[in-house]
Amino acid sequence: MPDVKRVLVADDSATVTTLLATALELEGYAVDTAINGVEAYEKGITGEFDLVIMDQLMPGLLGLEVIDRWQQEGHVNRVIMLSGVDDDRTVVSSLDLGAVDFVRKPFHLPELMARIRQRLLG
Amino acid sequence: MNPATIGLIAVAVVFFIDVILLTGLVSLKAVHRRRRRIHAARRAEYVTVLSRHLAFQHHTDPFGTNIADDDAFLDAVIDLRNIVSGTEIDNLTGIIDRSGLAKRQEARLRSRFPLGRRLRAAVSLAEMGDESSAPVLIEHLDDREPEIRIQCARGLGRIQHTSAIDPILERFGFEQPWVRARFADTLVGFGTKATWPLVAYIRVNLGHDQNQGVIEAIRVLGTIGDQEVGPTLAGVLRVASDPEVAIATIDALGVVGGPLAIRPLKYTFRHPDWRLRAKSATALAQIGDPSINPVLAEGLEDENWWVRRNSAAALAILPGGTDLLLKAIESEAPFAADAATEALADSGELAAARARFEAGEANHGDRVLLGYVTAQEAVPK
Repeated sequence: MPDVKRVLVADDSATVTTLLATALELEGYAVDTAINGVEAYEKGITGEFDLVIMDQLMPGLLGLEVIDRWQQEGHVNRVIMLSGVDDDRTVVSSLDLGAVDFVRKPFHLPELMARIRQRLLG
Repeated sequence: MNPATIGLIAVAVVFFIDVILLTGLVSLKAVHRRRRRIHAARRAEYVTVLSRHLAFQHHTDPFGTNIADDDAFLDAVIDLRNIVSGTEIDNLTGIIDRSGLAKRQEARLRSRFPLGRRLRAAVSLAEMGDESSAPVLIEHLDDREPEIRIQCARGLGRIQHTSAIDPILERFGFEQPWVRARFADTLVGFGTKATWPLVAYIRVNLGHDQNQGVIEAIRVLGTIGDQEVGPTLAGVLRVASDPEVAIATIDALGVVGGPLAIRPLKYTFRHPDWRLRAKSATALAQIGDPSINPVLAEGLEDENWWVRRNSAAALAILPGGTDLLLKAIESEAPFAADAATEALADSGELAAARARFEAGEANHGDRVLLGYVTAQEAVPK
């Protein structure tokens, strides 16, 4: 059986997590979801995800705070940031903290899926 | 029957009525909660089905004929519409068309339903309507309910239906200020496409009916920032007798900028009304042309504190302005020196002068500034 890639989708909008989980599952990935920053942080420390799609503005912990905590504690997760916050500082901070990509909401689903596929190939 | 028995019966009756009312309220709340749960579950199901539809481009349209009547479906479509872009919007628009969702909302808006349902229809159309919804949205710019008028304007702005600019402006002067403010937001969203209708509106209404809507229209022009309106605003400033209109025009000229804005602002900078002088100083700073520096330097000696403060703040950011502020400190005009010192402190020039002084690199200007500040600090309060 081929190795199935695992993706964590963290967003406080159930619509976003449903859309992305559906699209990812249709492409054959195993998907887990988190509805706030704390849940995302806790799921991410297991280190079993090949990629995390993370919203910036979430209750509990912000997306950037989750990445920062993982880094400080030595948990390695590849993260694509997803955010409706359209300011350059958030983009730069995300990339500085080690996010591999930044996608703005509203997003173009085929483009986001292409970015995800590319990251999971690497 | 003795009074004690009557009292007991009264207490029992009140207690009985209370129990009935409380039971009714609890039941209503439970029913409402259950309906909300069912609605949320149905909405989640629709989001899943729609997500499959969006993710798998060739997926067959999975929806039945009466789907447009289901509010859970409406909410799911609006939710998804707000998070995707590009071809997915076209895809969702196709679903909205085929399911008759927008037509259903248009019918609700036109109906005699209570306000809540009609408002929901207006909000839905504002979120998901397209060009085909424009006629009903324009029609309801005259709705009896202000919230519905606002949502219709918002929807027309979102679909960038430029033919709606004139109907929105036709209502502008008659609306209550809070509705007018929301209409103004919509007009800003049209950008430069709204410039000339707004100019026409201002020309027609300036000086009539207490300038109803004129001030907001000028502010909208300022926010849009189209340089083409410089001459129009200059003309307004020449004839405006209402200081509120003049102040809005000065603000707008500061944003719009350009050489044509400087001359009228120089004029209002010497106006008898101090509010116009103070606003003009700020507007001139926004334009950022250093040729205006000598005029602003006159403002440092104005009789009004706000004019002196704004003039000094303007000079602090204009090229060459710092020299004039230092000159004011050297002068014998104490108010001008105070205003100049405050502006130099706010701009960071005072801190920079201190740093240069401590490093033994102070220039003449630094010594003038630090000398004045030290002398002021030595004055007993």
